[in-house]
Amino acid sequence: MATNIELAHASASATLAPRRSFAEVAARFVRTKPLGAAGAVIILGMLFLAVFAQILAPYDPYVGDYGLQFARPSAEHWFGTDEFGRDVLSRIMYGARIALFVGFFASFIGCTIGALLGVVSAYWGGRVDLLLERLMDILLAFPQLILALAIASILGPAVQNVVIAISIPVIPRVARVVRAAALSVKENVYVEAVQALGASRRRVILQHIIPNVTAPYIIMLTAQLGAAILAEAALSYLGLGAAEPTPSWGLMLSGSAPSYAEKAPWIALFPGIAISLGVFGFNLFGDSLRDALDPKLRKG
Amino acid sequence: MRRHRTIIAVVGLCVLIGSLVVVAPAAVQAETPRRGGVLLAAIAADAPSLDPHQEQTFATIELVAPLYSTLIQIDPLSYPKIIGDAATEWKIAPDGLTYTFKLRQGIRFHDGSTLTSADVKATYDKIVFPPSGVRSIRKNAYSAIASIEAPDPTTVVFLLKFPSASLLGNLASPWNVIFPKKYLDRDPNYFKSNVVGSGPFKFKSYTRGSTFEGERNPDYFVKDRPYLDGYKFFISTETSVRAAALRSGRAWIEFRTMPLAEVEAIRKQLGDKVVVQDTAATGQFGIAMNQTTKPFADIRVRKALTLGLDRYTASRVLYPIASLKDVGGLMRPGTEFATPESELLKLPGFGRDSEKNRAEAKRLLAEAGYPNGFKVVLKNRNVRVPYIDFGVFVVQEWRKIGIEAEHRPLETAAWFADGRDTGSFEVIINGVFNYMDDPDLFLERYTTGDTNNWGRFSDPRIDDLFARQTRALDPAERKRLVNEMEKIVLENAYHIPGLWWARSVVHWAKVKNYVAPPNHYSNQKLQDVWLSED
Repeated sequence: MATNIELAHASASATLAPRRSFAEVAARFVRTKPLGAAGAVIILGMLFLAVFAQILAPYDPYVGDYGLQFARPSAEHWFGTDEFGRDVLSRIMYGARIALFVGFFASFIGCTIGALLGVVSAYWGGRVDLLLERLMDILLAFPQLILALAIASILGPAVQNVVIAISIPVIPRVARVVRAAALSVKENVYVEAVQALGASRRRVILQHIIPNVTAPYIIMLTAQLGAAILAEAALSYLGLGAAEPTPSWGLMLSGSAPSYAEKAPWIALFPGIAISLGVFGFNLFGDSLRDALDPKLRKG
Repeated sequence: MRRHRTIIAVVGLCVLIGSLVVVAPAAVQAETPRRGGVLLAAIAADAPSLDPHQEQTFATIELVAPLYSTLIQIDPLSYPKIIGDAATEWKIAPDGLTYTFKLRQGIRFHDGSTLTSADVKATYDKIVFPPSGVRSIRKNAYSAIASIEAPDPTTVVFLLKFPSASLLGNLASPWNVIFPKKYLDRDPNYFKSNVVGSGPFKFKSYTRGSTFEGERNPDYFVKDRPYLDGYKFFISTETSVRAAALRSGRAWIEFRTMPLAEVEAIRKQLGDKVVVQDTAATGQFGIAMNQTTKPFADIRVRKALTLGLDRYTASRVLYPIASLKDVGGLMRPGTEFATPESELLKLPGFGRDSEKNRAEAKRLLAEAGYPNGFKVVLKNRNVRVPYIDFGVFVVQEWRKIGIEAEHRPLETAAWFADGRDTGSFEVIINGVFNYMDDPDLFLERYTTGDTNNWGRFSDPRIDDLFARQTRALDPAERKRLVNEMEKIVLENAYHIPGLWWARSVVHWAKVKNYVAPPNHYSNQKLQDVWLSED
């Protein structure tokens, strides 16, 4: 009887809850989380550069002006040119594409697989849970970057391999968090109710558990994006990511940049700033999103 | 006052004489070799294997050359003069068909056994007539040799099929290190991962990808050599890491080369503490096209790719950052056998009008069925100077004719495996580097089936001309044949020559008695090198 009352109450509150428009939600987010909003602005800026790089970039990032090797920042080349006379600004704009591509896909793949494994592990329990959790323990035993390095060195240097290398270490981290959330959701009465009504495991997982663990999933996804961008830069820096002349931020920082640090510091400086800013933006946004979505941290 | 002046004059005279007495021996002493110390060196790659007969990279020879002896050698202090090493004297018969070498007595390998003519014969049999399963990189340079004999323990005789102008020079190859016969009998590939030599240094330790160390051989057959207690190489493919090692004194020499920008920075920081030896280099970097695969079997495509490379701009751009300097054909420009510039300019890709070359390249591609170009994977070695820099330039240049090349740098061993051994590539950056400007050494790679024919092409005209030039004792006739062969290779674009290299060897001034030859293979034994005090 009590179960029925609770269900009815839940259903009533769902219908009665005022529905806010996206603008209202965004305005509230900006008001309550100004740092998160700043992070969002940086991310949107990166996204804008990545999408419209072809229009916005003043020069072809692959073709250098051979008469202008190591040109200082100027009105023609705001961020200067590199050792092949290529425009550093244009390469950074195109580099945003690689950073976002790798960051988004690696986080998405890693988080999605992790979340699915977490939910399955929590719902099935028993041996499946034991087996999956020990597997996650093994993966967690390796530091994130070291594991990515090992995988990238096995697969060889290529952008798609970087995505795989970065996504695998993400899986156990997300699986743990989502499993914990799913364990709690699993104990809810409405889950018991649909089970009692004869719903299949697949239906319970897809329609009743997964929708209720999206908050930790989104938080992890955003948090991992910044880490993935940094990992891409690190792998490229170590020669395991994209190969030259691909305009990757990490690659721009490595390669010949250290050799010309004194002669042309702008070759390393601007890609360094771009990486820092991108990671900073995603971290700020991710933190604020966590605060906003976590009921324990939500005020009022 | 006068007395004071006299005293000052006497004191001044004493100081002058005293200083002459003190300074003169000091100056002499400065040139007196000092014993002791471990030479610290940086190197840009790790060795694919330790057997110099089977390898062709500085990554092997620089590490192991100090551990071995050769029959004869290029004078460490006077390139390209040939002097003895294990052999003290040699005679060439008047018909040019018999070379007789007398060995020093009492040379011992590091395992204590004596070096005899049997070891020299076993070594050269392995190089000239390699057993199956054993690679011999420079085999074709010894095609004149009919057999090798060891009539007594100190005599080695090379019997020739025909007189060869290059043979003595080729026998002075730093790669032809003498291995003890007993190990070769057991396993001809034994020295790919083991070292037993008779050189001035003995093997001490090797950590793959990190360090290689040798220590003084107290039983070395040259009296009072080596001066050093040992040597240690630090391996790093990153130019900036090696430059930092030089700046900080973690390494005192980089034998191969440093790009000019790094040289400038090191000079600026260390001033007189460093010395830079600038030399030309007997090496050229280019591109091999796998002609067993489409579309590179098509001469129009090959010609388009060579036309699409602006070598003159490349020289201007790449010299400061990668030491790639001179435009030339298959023999080093300015040397005896090189094609004259006026003739070279007529060959595909060597004309100075780059726009005209590109237009012709696009026309050829369209004619071959690729009006919009095509995509290709350009494999490369993951060594920045000059491989990566040259690769990046090539990718940029080819974009201008519609060729979209995906640049894929590989570890040294994988690069050799794909390019040289298995032919698992479409196009690949490779280098032609030898210790002498000899046509046999530089041109054998264009003959059918040669280990170094990475492009895997075959042209009977080239094989015939190579065989004829190696027999030609008249230099003018040999030059004519060499130039003719070169013309066929370049006109058919069997290979894309890039630029000839230059060396800037940076070392601390305390590293004494190392004279940089125009290559980084010879003079690597380090037996005469010594370290002065700081």
